[in-house]
Amino acid sequence: MMTLAQSGFPEVMSQVTLAHYLFVSGAMFTIGLVGFLTRRNLIIMFLCTELMFQAAGIALVAFGRFHLDFTGQTFVIFVLTVAAAEAAMALALVVLLFRRRESLDAEAWREMRG
Amino acid sequence: MLLYGSVALGGVGVWLALPRGKRTPQVLGALLAGAAGGMALLGLGLAGGLANLYFYVFALMGLGAALKVITHPRPVYAALYFILTVLAAAGLFLILSAEFMAFALIIVYAGAILITYLFVIMLATQAPEEGQEEAAQAPYDTNAREPFIACAASFLLLGVLTTMMFRGAGQLEKAAPLNPDALLVQMPRKVENVLRAHGMIEAGDKVAHDERTGRPAIDAEAGTITVNRKSGGTRVFTKDQWPADMHVKNIEGLGFDLLREHPGTIEIAGVILLMAMLGAVVLSRKQVQIDEDEKQKQALGDGGGR
Repeated sequence: MMTLAQSGFPEVMSQVTLAHYLFVSGAMFTIGLVGFLTRRNLIIMFLCTELMFQAAGIALVAFGRFHLDFTGQTFVIFVLTVAAAEAAMALALVVLLFRRRESLDAEAWREMRG
Repeated sequence: MLLYGSVALGGVGVWLALPRGKRTPQVLGALLAGAAGGMALLGLGLAGGLANLYFYVFALMGLGAALKVITHPRPVYAALYFILTVLAAAGLFLILSAEFMAFALIIVYAGAILITYLFVIMLATQAPEEGQEEAAQAPYDTNAREPFIACAASFLLLGVLTTMMFRGAGQLEKAAPLNPDALLVQMPRKVENVLRAHGMIEAGDKVAHDERTGRPAIDAEAGTITVNRKSGGTRVFTKDQWPADMHVKNIEGLGFDLLREHPGTIEIAGVILLMAMLGAVVLSRKQVQIDEDEKQKQALGDGGGR
């Protein structure tokens, strides 16, 4: 443990465990899911997907930290990439949809239901 | 038991906090949800100490701001609260000693993605009428859609997800500690530079190479570095002689992992970004025919300027 603390990794805190981080991550994911299901504003719905990305990122970094592996952080970089791409596409779509209906309501497109 | 209680309480709290119509017990709901979150965190075991205090501060800040994101009726404020969530997540990353990711998160999320969101929110919101002080809230912002079913389903999922943490977290196998300094073998130049900067070797001294394997003679386990002197002979540095900045830093380890283990993924990520950029350009270039006549009329009507 001594060598770990010296080598840029501060020692794992004695009591806050991986489970704490995973709980925070899961709760944040759940809040994002509730938001995605309940909100009707298209922009907020996409904001909630970003919230879920955040939660996944926390879980990945926490796993990486507790397993002393950099892959978790590497994957957060890719999550960021995908989030940026998704935001660009989604917001372009939202602008397009708003121009057609003058409304951000997801219900305005309910006839698209299969 | 405590887990399911707090998950159910959190579900009820979020359900109450969701906006619906005029009168809502939002504050009560938020308090309930906060209490549930705190209870669950306590149930996992209270940890003392300053760093642990920071964990609780950031965790509750992040969860509270996330709750505000999904309950605030105004999209702009929701986006601003999302920035607070990002800051809290960055704080958690700092505690997890992922410094690079913490700052990258702030720069990319709070700096770039959220600005795009704010732009679109402001583009796609109706301007307030002349006489009105502020725009009336659109009904789709103030009314949640099927809040009960959504909360029930989502918090059921949370309960299932977290069951393992309460039951079996203690029995999880401890991961074998991995020595990040093992990466030093792959960066002899860094070793030379650090040693030279500290005056421990002279210019021209090189890290020796193992004769059998051909790899740099850096043994992270034993902590020895063998250096070939320019003037002839070798010198061995042991671990207690290492300067403090010899150890592999977070960003170095991250860079090595990123470029050595996942080079193909970087290419794919680049292609994804390119496609997204092209797609966004194509999508938003498309003119909607219906609006054109109206816009022209409007432009003629008020002299083209607004």
